[in-house]
Amino acid sequence: MTVVLSTIEATAEPMLPRPFEVVATRRETADTVTLDFAATDGEGLQFSPGQFTMIYAFGVGEVPISVAGGSADDNVLTHTVRAVGAVTDAICSAEAGTQFGIRGPYGIGWPMDAAEGGDVVVVAGGIGLAPLRPVILRLLDNRARYGAVSLLYGTRSPDDLLYEEELRQWRGRFDIEVEVTVDRAADGWYGDIGLVTNLLTRIEYDPENVTAMVCGPEIMMKVVAREMGRAGTDPSSVYVSMERNMKCAVGFCGHCQYGPDFICRDGPVFTYAAVRDRMRVSEL
Amino acid sequence: MNLSVDLGRTELLAHLTDEEIAFLESVAIESEFAEGEVLFEEDSEATRFYIVISGKVGLELVSPRRRPIVIQTLGRGELVGLSWFFPPHTWSWRARALDPTRTLGFDAAAVRAKCVEDHNLSEQVLRIVAKQAVNRLHATRTQLLDLYEFPR
Repeated sequence: MTVVLSTIEATAEPMLPRPFEVVATRRETADTVTLDFAATDGEGLQFSPGQFTMIYAFGVGEVPISVAGGSADDNVLTHTVRAVGAVTDAICSAEAGTQFGIRGPYGIGWPMDAAEGGDVVVVAGGIGLAPLRPVILRLLDNRARYGAVSLLYGTRSPDDLLYEEELRQWRGRFDIEVEVTVDRAADGWYGDIGLVTNLLTRIEYDPENVTAMVCGPEIMMKVVAREMGRAGTDPSSVYVSMERNMKCAVGFCGHCQYGPDFICRDGPVFTYAAVRDRMRVSEL
Repeated sequence: MNLSVDLGRTELLAHLTDEEIAFLESVAIESEFAEGEVLFEEDSEATRFYIVISGKVGLELVSPRRRPIVIQTLGRGELVGLSWFFPPHTWSWRARALDPTRTLGFDAAAVRAKCVEDHNLSEQVLRIVAKQAVNRLHATRTQLLDLYEFPR
């Protein structure tokens, strides 16, 4: 089992943002941008795949965003952000040189250590690929430690695909199976059409010795976990990343309370076994 | 031909007896389709249904003055064609290989005839067809939710 320091232990000043500067931006889709940040007050940010930071757009507000990549040694912190409101609009429209405050990282991430020795199935839906990108990079960097590795990625249309160039590179490797599907497509799309769960039957994995890491709309995560359960995978081997309205990010304010847990402190990654019953409660 | 070897781990065959698998093998042919080649046309007689061994098949709706619309893709271990089992035994969609594709194609009339005299086989074939239909119904319902649109 991965040992993860609590948020407060890991971060000396958990509520204090550090100054970061945008050093590069890449447009992914019509409303989604990937940004590389660099700390301007010292060392880069250490993070575990699946953790998130709070990004403060000065004078606009603060939002939680999953870490999508980067390297503390190189002082690069990568976030992929979808413009859905005032703060994310400000982040997505930022140019190189724009200053932001960033605090974190926070939360418990994906079980990279626990997954060693077995097969790994990564399932992403829509922008859910962003929190899983560090997982894929880590898996590929340490490929020999894992069994069969598969990435299944579903989006609404080909125009909504993130990291297209990287997807092509990953598909070109012989040590990871990459399947991409969309709900609907026009001419020129040569990939799959259909639900991401359809792809589960096409990949090779041992249902009893697999770790699944799933991120996307909650309904999608539920359907994936259910289908893998029917194939024989224990719900405690399926990990999902939950999302709620996080404010303080350190388990004080209660905005992201999810049953007995705070998403920011006890998640965002949970086993499906832990949250399965809660996913049937519409009030949560 | 060996169905289990060709298809490996597929739940399609999970509940069939050796005798039933032997019968299906006796009415199957292995076929290869080049990219773009049509397996069957919409509204044509459902003479042969397929299981994909490798590659990818698209189910398409063809309409005038526009290019074919792919509504679903099917891959390894999946059944191409459900309408062969039910009257009037005509296809509702066109099936076309989207990649170079290997399939096992089964003589639909022979399987239907065998099912009339062998109720155990009939039950198993119906289970296979119904399971595929239910899976596709669930997937279609979920797709209709437009899951990826914000807010999640």
